Amino acid sequence: MRSRVLPPLLLGAGMIGAWEAYVRIARIDILLLPPPSAVALYLIGNVGIFVRNGLATLSELLVGFACGVLIGLALGVLMQLVRGFRDAAYPWLVATQMVPIPAVAPILVLWFGFTLVPKAVTVALMCFFPVAVSTVDGLGAVNPELIRLMRSFGASPWAIMRMASFPSAMPRIFSGLRVAMALSVVGAVVGEWVGSTRGLGYLMLQFENRGETAGLFATVTVLTAMGIVLFFLVGWVEGAVIPWRRYAKETL
Amino acid sequence: MSVRGVSRSYRDGSRSVLAVEGTHLDIPEGKFVTIVGPSACGKSTLLNLFCGLDQPDSGSIETPSQGTGALLGRIGYMPQQDLLMPWRDVAGNAAVGLECLGVGRQEARSRALGHMRRFGLEGFEGSFPGQLSGGMRQRVAMLRTFLCGRRINMLDEPFGKLDALTRASMQAWLLDYWQEYRCTILFVTHDIDEALFLSDVVHLMSPRPGRIVLSLEVDLPRPRKYSEVVTSAPFNALKARLLEQLGRQP
Repeated sequence: MRSRVLPPLLLGAGMIGAWEAYVRIARIDILLLPPPSAVALYLIGNVGIFVRNGLATLSELLVGFACGVLIGLALGVLMQLVRGFRDAAYPWLVATQMVPIPAVAPILVLWFGFTLVPKAVTVALMCFFPVAVSTVDGLGAVNPELIRLMRSFGASPWAIMRMASFPSAMPRIFSGLRVAMALSVVGAVVGEWVGSTRGLGYLMLQFENRGETAGLFATVTVLTAMGIVLFFLVGWVEGAVIPWRRYAKETL
Repeated sequence: MSVRGVSRSYRDGSRSVLAVEGTHLDIPEGKFVTIVGPSACGKSTLLNLFCGLDQPDSGSIETPSQGTGALLGRIGYMPQQDLLMPWRDVAGNAAVGLECLGVGRQEARSRALGHMRRFGLEGFEGSFPGQLSGGMRQRVAMLRTFLCGRRINMLDEPFGKLDALTRASMQAWLLDYWQEYRCTILFVTHDIDEALFLSDVVHLMSPRPGRIVLSLEVDLPRPRKYSEVVTSAPFNALKARLLEQLGRQP
């Protein structure tokens, strides 16, 4: 534990120290680059605002993430089970990722108003893709010999999916989930930039307009911390869901 | 089970390769029958046909219960690789075959648990495959196949990857088990000693295209003891005939 937590903390402390020293020695204008101490003070002085808006962003993010993951998994399973659907749908799925989200987000606001929905949709749009791709890849990578064996036992395609392909795809699916989680933080903020009345993305715009650089940095800090916690949370869930990884010398 | 003039070829790029040609084979009920052959002699192709994963180009395969009907799910099959699922414990892996047949998860598991002692897996019910020795893994795989309760079971080089000592004890164990339950076993190996020690009948296959070139009745008395059987004169006489036939092939 110590060896995994200590090095990043030391590195972080070193960088923050260098930043603080640079700003003070070079007498940088606080509007251009506030020292970490000023950011920390701002954060502590306005905890309420950050908690309120942080929770708003968190709920958009989690709703969007959950929807995106479900859609991604369903698409992945469907594409694996139905060959024709896979061939037909794959290029279009790639196409959805070529559309710049900031261009679509205003339309979502027009459709759904200043509610949680357009942000959640933005998040879902960004994170269903890595989940769908990793699910298809993972399901396709199952040992074909195992599938042959199960067919010889008389298993149905669905039974093979449930008992063999899906569990063996789990590690890959979780890689997709981690990418999706990282993207969903960006997605939520982009969704808020386009039209919102609260949330960390909204807060950023406010601070920027008012020239409160320390507040802006504090918001980024909160957002980053939230993203890191969520990212490692996915890893923790993976460890809980895939306990056999400890014993698996080979992957099936 | 009887196999009548079965042939099967498959395409390798642009050319067609004849893997099995006009094979006749009788596998009498309750017997231990072994197919011996060099690698790439079409043994796997033959097994695929037997368990219904593939259809012959010509010829027919009949079982007493099914006639020439669908074989898929009718014959117990144990492949070379143990194919244990790393996410299931020993009991869960042994239950896979039953679950594929539609038995409920809990029911399948409890039936598997009832055989742990007989298969030398007692105390390891909750272990994961990564924690097991090679011999134990093979026993789990075998239990998975035998639990399906098929009258015919095909074992494809089940002991091929085991060390010599484990292998000998597994052979003795398998004979013991078979004598108790009397299912029909179709065994595939490239080890002549193993084939003669275990079987009632040994069929020798030629290299591709695979064909049965010699069939030997092994009328050594049972129960057989490894140390006695493999050093006996009748055993060596049979072995000499097999080796002679093998040497004759191009």
